[in-house]
Amino acid sequence: MGITRRRFLQGSALAGAAAGAAAGQRLLFGELETVVAAHPALAVAPSVEDFVPTTCWIGKQDCGIIARRINGRVISLAGQPEHPLNLGALCPKGPAQITALYDPNRVKTPLIRTNAKGQSGTWRRASWKEAIDLVAARVKETRDKDPKLVLWQKGRSKAKSFYDDAFVNSLGATKLGHGTYCSDAGYRALEYTIGLTGVLHPDFRETRYLLSWGWNITNGGGNKFCWITWPRQMLEARERGMKIVQIDPRLRGAGPFADRWLPIRPGTDLALALAFSNVLVAEGYVDGEYLARYTNAATLVRNDGTLVRVDGVPQVWDAAADGPAPLETASQPALDGAYTVDGMPARPAFELYREQIASYTPEWAADVCGLAADEIRGVAIEFGRNARIGSTTVVDGVRVPYRPVGIAAYHMSQQELGFQAVRAMLMMTMLVGAPGAVGGQMADTSWKIDKNYTALDEVEVKDPPYGYTLKSSRYFPINSGFPGMVAKVMLDPRRYGVEKLPEVMITHYVNPLVSFLSRREFIESYAKFKFVADISPWLSETADYFADVVLPAATLEKYEGPSSANDQYTDAVALRVPAMAPLFESRGEIDIYLDLTEAVGVLYGEGGYLDELNKSLKLEPPHALPLDKKPTPREIFDHWALAQGIEQGVSHFETKGVYVKGPLKPAKRYGYVTDPPFGGALHRFYGESLLRYRNEMQAKGAEEVYWRDYTPFPTWRSLTMDASPAEYDLDLISYKLIEHKQSRTGFMPLLAELAPRQRLDINPRTARERGIADGDEVWVESQNAVTGETRRVRTRASYTEAIRPDTVGMPNHFGLWADPRARERGPSPNEIYYVGEGYMTNTADQSFLVKVRVSRA
Amino acid sequence: MSANAPGTPLPQGIGRITPGWLTIVGLAAVAVALGIYAYSLEASEGLVATGLRDLGTMGGATWGLYVTFVVYFGGVAFGGVTLAALIRLLRLDELRPIGRLGQLLTVVALLLAAIAILVDLGQPLRGLVNLFLYARPQSPFFGTFTIVLSGYLFASLVYLYLDGRRDAAICARTPSRLRWLYRLWAAGYGDSPGERARHRRASFWLAVAIVPLLVVATSTLGFVFGLQAGRPGWYSAVQAPAFVTLAGVSGVGLLIVLAAVVRRVAGSEDRLGLNVFRRLGGLLLGLVLVYLFLLATELFTATYTGEVVERRLTEALLWGEFAGIFWAALAFFLLSLALLLWQALTRRWSIPLLVVAGLLVNLAAIGKRYLIVVPSQTHGQLLPYPEGSYTPALGEFAVIAGLFGLGVLLIALFMKVFPIVELPEEEVPAGA
Amino acid sequence: MPKYAMAVDLERCQGCRACVEACKVENNTSQGVFWMHVFRLEEGEYPETRISFLPRPCQHCDNAPCVKVCPVGARYKRIDGLVLTDYERCIGCRYCEVACPYGVNFFNWKQPAENYYMDWSDPDIQPASGGEVPPYRNPELDGRYGSEQKQVAGGGHFRGIVEKCTFCVQRIEKGLQPACVTVCPVQALVFGDLEDQESPVSTYLRGKQSFRLLEETGTEPRVHYIGGRTPGTDVREIEPVEGRVGA
Repeated sequence: MGITRRRFLQGSALAGAAAGAAAGQRLLFGELETVVAAHPALAVAPSVEDFVPTTCWIGKQDCGIIARRINGRVISLAGQPEHPLNLGALCPKGPAQITALYDPNRVKTPLIRTNAKGQSGTWRRASWKEAIDLVAARVKETRDKDPKLVLWQKGRSKAKSFYDDAFVNSLGATKLGHGTYCSDAGYRALEYTIGLTGVLHPDFRETRYLLSWGWNITNGGGNKFCWITWPRQMLEARERGMKIVQIDPRLRGAGPFADRWLPIRPGTDLALALAFSNVLVAEGYVDGEYLARYTNAATLVRNDGTLVRVDGVPQVWDAAADGPAPLETASQPALDGAYTVDGMPARPAFELYREQIASYTPEWAADVCGLAADEIRGVAIEFGRNARIGSTTVVDGVRVPYRPVGIAAYHMSQQELGFQAVRAMLMMTMLVGAPGAVGGQMADTSWKIDKNYTALDEVEVKDPPYGYTLKSSRYFPINSGFPGMVAKVMLDPRRYGVEKLPEVMITHYVNPLVSFLSRREFIESYAKFKFVADISPWLSETADYFADVVLPAATLEKYEGPSSANDQYTDAVALRVPAMAPLFESRGEIDIYLDLTEAVGVLYGEGGYLDELNKSLKLEPPHALPLDKKPTPREIFDHWALAQGIEQGVSHFETKGVYVKGPLKPAKRYGYVTDPPFGGALHRFYGESLLRYRNEMQAKGAEEVYWRDYTPFPTWRSLTMDASPAEYDLDLISYKLIEHKQSRTGFMPLLAELAPRQRLDINPRTARERGIADGDEVWVESQNAVTGETRRVRTRASYTEAIRPDTVGMPNHFGLWADPRARERGPSPNEIYYVGEGYMTNTADQSFLVKVRVSRA
Repeated sequence: MSANAPGTPLPQGIGRITPGWLTIVGLAAVAVALGIYAYSLEASEGLVATGLRDLGTMGGATWGLYVTFVVYFGGVAFGGVTLAALIRLLRLDELRPIGRLGQLLTVVALLLAAIAILVDLGQPLRGLVNLFLYARPQSPFFGTFTIVLSGYLFASLVYLYLDGRRDAAICARTPSRLRWLYRLWAAGYGDSPGERARHRRASFWLAVAIVPLLVVATSTLGFVFGLQAGRPGWYSAVQAPAFVTLAGVSGVGLLIVLAAVVRRVAGSEDRLGLNVFRRLGGLLLGLVLVYLFLLATELFTATYTGEVVERRLTEALLWGEFAGIFWAALAFFLLSLALLLWQALTRRWSIPLLVVAGLLVNLAAIGKRYLIVVPSQTHGQLLPYPEGSYTPALGEFAVIAGLFGLGVLLIALFMKVFPIVELPEEEVPAGA
Repeated sequence: MPKYAMAVDLERCQGCRACVEACKVENNTSQGVFWMHVFRLEEGEYPETRISFLPRPCQHCDNAPCVKVCPVGARYKRIDGLVLTDYERCIGCRYCEVACPYGVNFFNWKQPAENYYMDWSDPDIQPASGGEVPPYRNPELDGRYGSEQKQVAGGGHFRGIVEKCTFCVQRIEKGLQPACVTVCPVQALVFGDLEDQESPVSTYLRGKQSFRLLEETGTEPRVHYIGGRTPGTDVREIEPVEGRVGA
């Protein structure tokens, strides 16, 4: 070949003998031979290599992916460098989903059930026409009676405009999501208090002091972002000097990144937030200007808890004029003092708050939360000090208040007192004026006020009969739409004053039997559906037991979106583009819905699916879809892209994957400087309407369990689970693993190889007391303190020093059986939680609190 | 040379097929068949059929029973040929009757070791070619493959041939179906005093040359392990001398056992007298003592120093997963030591007791070889991998049984074609 | 001549194991094979618990014990620093595996095509997979690399030989970064040429304290760790992967 190279010392000992001193030294001291590597040379050139941009299909934030193809066959998935959310990176689920794409165990054709429901299904293959016609006929039959009795339930929302909005609206169906298992109590608290749909997160570019609260930092993602955007922003913030206080019974997700760990007892976050607030108020870390100007803290409250109103307008005490005035006109709204208005005593809401918060001392909370009082006080003071109340800074030429402290919290909202706990945490940041400040408290990527800001303030508590979601009922005036409660209602409609139950259910990639809590209720209630159609790439456990028809959805091989690619600093939007033709006979969900609405007769014309799509995608002429012609998904996205001002239309996404609009201006990001400030929402420090609901619920005869947490200020009470017998001495928490996504990945072999099976995280001390060795099989038995019911699962003990000794943890995955590869990986902890009074919030959200006992199996 | 009278049988039962012999050969053949069957499964499925697995994340041992027996057979081979050479070198004429047995043992053990290496290879056919084509002196394996295999084999074959010439000449006098073989082997050797003296001189100088080479060769077996800085439990200067000593122990031990068997079945009670066994017993005693000293040194070093992984490994040996094998091996050594010491002190040597001691030291040696090979892989990780485990699969045991069967078969066959014990001087007819 | 090396920033690694998956797909390694592994480690007692992560690619040692012991020269060191295996020469003696203190070598215990997690022979996927096993099989891995033109890239080639991390030789010879480096969500892995002062790895390592794993064994690794420390002897691995391959 003409290339000089030092070859291996070949042959036998002779070579060694002949090789002289240098070789002798090499022999003695074992120096290594090297082979010259020089000219890059590829012997096998791939025939046709191309790259297709698409998006991740497993996770929440739809990271940009580039599918590398050889002769049209996808051989690997890598990150899109231009996508602001992942900047070319991926989490383990990104590359691993390639096995899901080719998985021969996907549902290959439409399936029609051939055996009775309530057991593992047997199926026959059907044509798309037969399956769609069957579903359409059953939907139509029920819809003609009452559209609300058609229930559409989803587990993931990858194209909200197409599914949640257009499809549900065109049918007039009832929609249920999975948010009540996720973080909806927090969403409601934020919508109600500051008008934003989201949960608490920091302004990572500027935050200096972060309370990572029940937030599994590197494994948990967030309500808007996944495991890539957050950790990267968090690391960059840490490298700039941000400190992290981890408030969590379990340390693992925060790993090496926590500067301080407060291992709080599960379910006591409200008490801790109240104690933090107590210290902030006592130490004078109060941003009076923010509270007086942008919240209702100065509003005058009568002794009965209602606001002082003049002509319907709430009044504050204007210290300058020494009299009541609307907030807008008051030059000096007072936060303290006691006044008389119209001959009746009234005090600013903040004065009441100050009085109430005084009893929630760190010493008190130390007992409740299982922490040290000094530690609570110390963190609160550091928080207050780092808030730098009164300071401002200039961002992109705009002067904005600077409060570089914040809270990151997410799924922790799903606990018995979740709504009020999140409200109390938010109010803690409100005390220092952090919401919407630079470095301060964020909850969304914009300050667009959600309609729930008003709606949750104006709920009309009605008399029965109620709809089966118990909306506007005396039970849950603020109602997140809880599938678990719907199941309970279906089992006993009269108990809840419900007359009509859902008859047809369309499950859109959701698996309530495994991923929702309390399987028993679902199994019993789903047996009552007259017809269930499931849309999913895999046969879910729910479909296995209850689907009449399964419609196979494609995975990466479809058009879907649009999805936001906004990382809270750069605005961008992306589309999923098919990485290859759909495998088997699967189809994209949009195709399925176009066919289904056509077959039901609600595709065309006004109020039809196409018309609803024009509304949800904001397609105006000339880009609006014609209402009399069935488009392809690609055509719809082309209309949408053109309407967005993207000249090349959908082909922009087919070549680039993401459309980057540019950096977000401070006037978009920071509530203080939006126009109007904070999107025009007055922050509800005082929740007058919460008190009103309480009174109305009582008046309509609701039991205390429903109304007790409707208080104008967050108020601590003891937890239902604490009434469990003493032998149930441990708290069970569940959490996410980065390798898995809910119940959707347990059967994906590459991911299952990394996180193969269920386990019980247990402190070695706790385990040894029970004679449990690392790896032993154990029973975990939970107890419902209200009904006395017990449930148990069997798993393996896994020693960890990173968990409170009185708490045990299980990842929130596994427990699947429909796919043979997912079996024998252990149970899901969801099986031993409870649904129902005492185990849910006042907003009809699931609570993940339960007492368990652990014993060797 | 005049031929013996027709009807005179060949010595030591050569050519006579007895039921006892048939039984032994039958059993050995069954073991061989079993081993071949087990290996055929392995060859079709891959080494996944064994209990071996990767180190680290897979939590296994990648060398197991096969490598254990490569080392064991290598040691036995060393013992055999070294003893044969020492007999020449030190003119241990009393031991001459077992010289051939030692040479044969070496040839057979080497063959078994070579097969054990091949069955352990993932690509045995490539191994046969590449090990010679691309041999690298830098690899401690080089020693194993070149010096051990070729050196021992060469030496033992030379001895076997030289020593056998006289007996071949004797046997060639008797008409038999194997006469051509004896004639070929004798190759004109007439056992005249001149020939005898030349023969002795050659043997002596060969021994002078070969004994150090053999020690070096067996050391390289120790170096296969002892040079690995990254493997606690292996990296040790005592590894090579310990390997050599243990090789001697197992070789001499097995020779005692074989000699006792041969004494019975070949009717050589007179040739293999108690004095032969006494000598061997004394030798074994000395070797066991030296080995136990080295073992104690090794253990003391491992337990006394604070190095955590070494200590963890030693704990696994002393009272962990491997404690059973460790204490059994130690007990066998001590028991055989006691047996040998008692006989030496009382000067009352007993062949059955020596056989027991020989068997015990061999079982102990196998156990010790296993403890060298396996625990350092499963419990000697320097990175925080979880502890590994290795349980040999049935197939591995079957292959090993097959190897022993093959060894028995070969020796049994040899016994039926050639005098396994050197023929006595007086059988040489005067005037020849 | 480049001098390839990798830097691993332990202050950034979040232990997510994305690198492990990217490696498995890029290099088509089979079940139970972790050319890249990320240890998740715990030490100390509650509440003084310390958690750390440790990515472990092949260390591409300058004084590689695996190269030294290989009886047939199948394992070799290229002058640019890569330690590679000639898949056509390896005899499967696994001496490299016992000699390596890092546990980076993986033997093909089974026929690789039968060890890709599931049965890919389903006729329904043939149109999409073209009969490749696994369906994401990368044909580049069958190429020959370096001036010596040896088959060294990727995994799953022959039964009964040893394979390990190649720093993605098929990618770096095209000027790309190894798959693990590209995928890392937190840029904890940096790869490049130490001879080139401006390469990512040179600039990343400059002025930073770094250490190499098990330096005391004299292996002279080419992987430099920043932040953190060599795992102590009282660390425990938590959340191990499922590494055992069944028969």
